[in-house]
Amino acid sequence: MTGPTDARAGLRQALIHEWIKFRSVRSLVRPTLATAVVPVLGAVFVARTGSLRPDDTVLGAALTLSVTAQMLAAVVGALVITGEYGSGTIRTTFVATPRRGTVLAAKAVLLAGLTCTVALISCTLAYLVEDMMLDDDTYAQGDPFPALLGVALSFAVAALLGLAVGTLVRHSAGAVTAVVGVLLLPSLLGPLFGDAQRWVAGLSPTAALQKLTQTSDATAETVGSLGPWPSLLLVGAYTTALLLLAALKLRKRDA
Amino acid sequence: MIEVRELTKRYGDRTAVDRLTFSVPPGRVTGFLGPNGAGKSTTLRLVLGLDTPTSGTATVAGRRYAELPAPLRTVGSLLDAKGVHGGRTAQQHLAGLAASNRLPQHRVEDVLGLTGLTDVAGRRVKGFSLGMSQRLGIAAALLGDPAVLILDEPVNGLDTEGIRWIRTLLKSLAAQGRTVFLSSHLMGEMELTADHLIVIGRGRVLADTSVRDFVETNSHTHTLVRSPEPEKLRALLEAEGATVRLDARGGFRVHGVDASSIGDLVSHHHLTVHELSPAHSSLEEVYTALAHEAAEYRTRREVRR
Repeated sequence: MTGPTDARAGLRQALIHEWIKFRSVRSLVRPTLATAVVPVLGAVFVARTGSLRPDDTVLGAALTLSVTAQMLAAVVGALVITGEYGSGTIRTTFVATPRRGTVLAAKAVLLAGLTCTVALISCTLAYLVEDMMLDDDTYAQGDPFPALLGVALSFAVAALLGLAVGTLVRHSAGAVTAVVGVLLLPSLLGPLFGDAQRWVAGLSPTAALQKLTQTSDATAETVGSLGPWPSLLLVGAYTTALLLLAALKLRKRDA
Repeated sequence: MIEVRELTKRYGDRTAVDRLTFSVPPGRVTGFLGPNGAGKSTTLRLVLGLDTPTSGTATVAGRRYAELPAPLRTVGSLLDAKGVHGGRTAQQHLAGLAASNRLPQHRVEDVLGLTGLTDVAGRRVKGFSLGMSQRLGIAAALLGDPAVLILDEPVNGLDTEGIRWIRTLLKSLAAQGRTVFLSSHLMGEMELTADHLIVIGRGRVLADTSVRDFVETNSHTHTLVRSPEPEKLRALLEAEGATVRLDARGGFRVHGVDASSIGDLVSHHHLTVHELSPAHSSLEEVYTALAHEAAEYRTRREVRR
């Protein structure tokens, strides 16, 4: 028996635990790899087929499929916790780290760091590929910096939103449906709200992403009239609120 | 040392654990016995901080589980064999747990060796047999070299050799001065493994006693008598104040008069007897009766509602 030690199972330890768990489960690693690959494939496809509108920017065209990739990031965020409920490992996790706020914080830090890095690399690569493949003067360039940083952050926000929803819902299928709904529904339901459409449509993390990519699809009608950065801030704010609510629920609930 | 005081857990209007009070001291194997649904697993989940009690407290080494700074170093637990993701290898599962409590990574190799899993450490857990999963659960429980072990139905799914292995292991861990607390619904297993018993039924403590005392207090003696003249014998015994019941194997089961008195009686009245054997009801029977009473009570209450 080891005697009493001052070793403490804190956030750092929980984070390493989460990382080991994450990389040893295929159902998390594969969609994360897909998140990395999809934007680049999208950029190649758009450039090869020349499917751009005259008013499109190179940046916007390069990130055509970033919306799909962002959705994958959100799904990974949800699965990081619902997978644990599904397989029963959540109890093992809480027995090892009984402070559940620490567990959720570790998952959040891991997801935010990972998706942000993956998205930054992949979206930058997509932009460079697009820039290389398209004729120089046909299309406006767009401002890649600091927009690409914002794009990466919007991926992290989507993953955290997935984590919050997953924590509240606990079932993989339900959580994935709910989080994809949050991403898609604002733009689908927007037109039903008449004059309020721009407000409703602007609520999705997808809207913030599209504005940041400077695509011609991002009209005020479809993604709201807020600027790209305030839009990102808005989505980040309600995601934070939802995460705090999830943490509160997690601490009270029986595992 | 595990201490449970007035512990109560209600789910809606169902009381799973009802003012449970007991303590589990170090240095011996304490069995937690009760039929399925008696509240054993709920109690263990409350002790491990997974569920929040409605009232009362449960502490391990003097603290609530959630307040232990690095819980795996104090308490090792096995809840069910399913606490592992099937896609992970045994090695990855244990390495993650070790990292979470700042345990040195050589502990992973240590417990893999101890539980005989070294050869399969790199295999995905979903290919494991029930017995191997159970061994992995034990390995995880031992990872932090804890002073307290809490195991829920550890022999489930183990073969005879595995059961013998775990029995020896638990006894040696208790002999090293650790607190060993294991639940089971199998009396026979407890009789062989545990030194002390806490028996619960419908969420309450029915007995908290040493295994030997439990046997002596609760096991009734009776005598089995077989005779070619059963009716005469029966009348005679009942006249002496004995309770006579038919035994399933033929003959009578006699309570209230011991074997030597029956022998004297029979020879005095010149009756023929083919068998006369004193017997103890097994602990299994006692426990079954106890569990049955608890179940009866529950059914009656539910009918009344």
